[in-house]
Amino acid sequence: MFSVKIWGDRGSMPVPGPDTVIFGGNTACLEIRCGKRLFIVDAGSGIRGLGDWLAKNELKNGPIKADIFLTHTHWDHIMGFPMFTPIYIPGTSLTIRGPVNFEDETLEQIIGNQLSYRYWPVRQDELAATIRYESLKETELDLGDGVTVHTKYLNHPVLCLGYRFEYEGKAIVTAYDHEPFVNLFPTDPSNPDYDEAIAEEGNRAAKEENERIEAFYRGADILVHDTQYTAKEYKANKVGWGHSSFEYAINAANRSGVKKLVLFHHDPNRGDTELQELELFYQGKLRGRTALSVEASREGSVYHA
Amino acid sequence: MAGSDSLRKVRDYIGSMPSLPTTVAKVLEVCNNPKTSPIDLDKVISLDPVLMGRVLKLINSAYYGLQNQITSLVRAIIMLGVNTVKNLALSTAVLDRLADKSGFRALNMEGFWRHCLGVGVVAKLIARKTGVDSQRLDEYFAAGLLHDIGKVPMNNVISDEYVRAMGLADRERIPLYLAEKRAIDTDHAEVGAMIAEAWHLDGPIADCIKYHHAVDVYEGKSRPILLAVIVANWYANREEVGFSGSLYPEKLNPALLDELGISRDWLESIDQAVAAEIEKASVFLKLKS
Repeated sequence: MFSVKIWGDRGSMPVPGPDTVIFGGNTACLEIRCGKRLFIVDAGSGIRGLGDWLAKNELKNGPIKADIFLTHTHWDHIMGFPMFTPIYIPGTSLTIRGPVNFEDETLEQIIGNQLSYRYWPVRQDELAATIRYESLKETELDLGDGVTVHTKYLNHPVLCLGYRFEYEGKAIVTAYDHEPFVNLFPTDPSNPDYDEAIAEEGNRAAKEENERIEAFYRGADILVHDTQYTAKEYKANKVGWGHSSFEYAINAANRSGVKKLVLFHHDPNRGDTELQELELFYQGKLRGRTALSVEASREGSVYHA
Repeated sequence: MAGSDSLRKVRDYIGSMPSLPTTVAKVLEVCNNPKTSPIDLDKVISLDPVLMGRVLKLINSAYYGLQNQITSLVRAIIMLGVNTVKNLALSTAVLDRLADKSGFRALNMEGFWRHCLGVGVVAKLIARKTGVDSQRLDEYFAAGLLHDIGKVPMNNVISDEYVRAMGLADRERIPLYLAEKRAIDTDHAEVGAMIAEAWHLDGPIADCIKYHHAVDVYEGKSRPILLAVIVANWYANREEVGFSGSLYPEKLNPALLDELGISRDWLESIDQAVAAEIEKASVFLKLKS
């Protein structure tokens, strides 16, 4: 079995309520199963449901053992950790990996300090689980049992990694939070700061990074991709915020020969009706023109590679 | 190199070498501004040899695990983002706490800064003139900017010895690096090599730091960039672009110009372009001209 189950797909902030019943209101959390191994990507508010499910259904088979991969440490991706029930159960063993910026505290401090009395009634030191932290960079890890994961820096206002899980010849890839790389330097010769060499180097760097991103998606069976905005919203005033448009994600996935694209990291202001309309709109645009299948992420959905 | 007290002081200092006083105020201003533009960030780092070296070190360190060595700040800013690079710069632009403030400093830091920048600017002009791939222009600039980095700790932590070395060079009319060797038993190229090692800079930039007074014994692969830095250094000394501390620098072997493929006439023609670049930088840093 090689699958991904969505426990949270919302961006920025949990948004419970009547407008988010279909697609869900919890922030990012994915459960990835490779045979008997359990991998969790992100500890947004969705991880609470996953933790409770594990405690109820899997604890009876023995202590919970999981590898948690954090895409980055923005709050919506780590906020659920204190409510992840297995951390309070003796015998639980977790390895938590994620990228940490140079100037920051360690991963253990960033995640664990959420469990201090000022924020939470239990301190990290009081947890029953055994937790190991490991800071990650661009790399390839052999996770054992035939599972490997490649990591790739994405374009977000903080150090952020995409993950490519490979198992039995298939691949599940996450690419959020991310927007396409752009040349940040002036390219208009009439700009007083224009410098030809800098403009060229900037164009080249952005192009090469975008090519490396598509190589990272290449041939994925499932790609879970940031699609917080429409192209129109993105261009209007969201460039540099670190999120992609539906159009970019679909085109990049299509160029990379991805089989299934899961539209993810829904904008907190986007209700069910609008998301359904957008999903139908893009599916309609693609029908008969490509083998790529596209679906908006729904909390509770399971996708098999 | 002798293991004297002085050298131990230099070695200790390298681990936390601060930004040049010439640029530090602007670094803090640019990096603390939430609306900093990528172009200002690139500029402010490119203007400080210490900062440039340290930021390149961090970007290429195991910390980020990037597969290819990056010598272009522009690329680093696009790949890692303005925030990340800004924070790298801020965290390295620490104030000068360790230097012996009571001691007299041999080198005027602003003059020294102008010299480093001048050599960077000329090395880049030479690269352009000799048809070096535009992707490598930044590397030529960085190599020129950093070539004399070894003088910073010598000047800042063993100031008395350094004043003696400069006096010796003046009295005997010899190049500073030879006087350093006699007075301190090491020279700025050797100290520079220690810094390059500490910053994990290898390849062309490290070679230029180590061999810019020893091209005769150089057998590495980066001869063109080394020659460009040597010629740029000679030019900056002769045209008195800033002050490197050496009143009697070595003469230039004309064969090096031929090997590079540039003429003296061309070198005579670049003074305005060089002055304009340095003026731009001074205005940016708000230095009094």
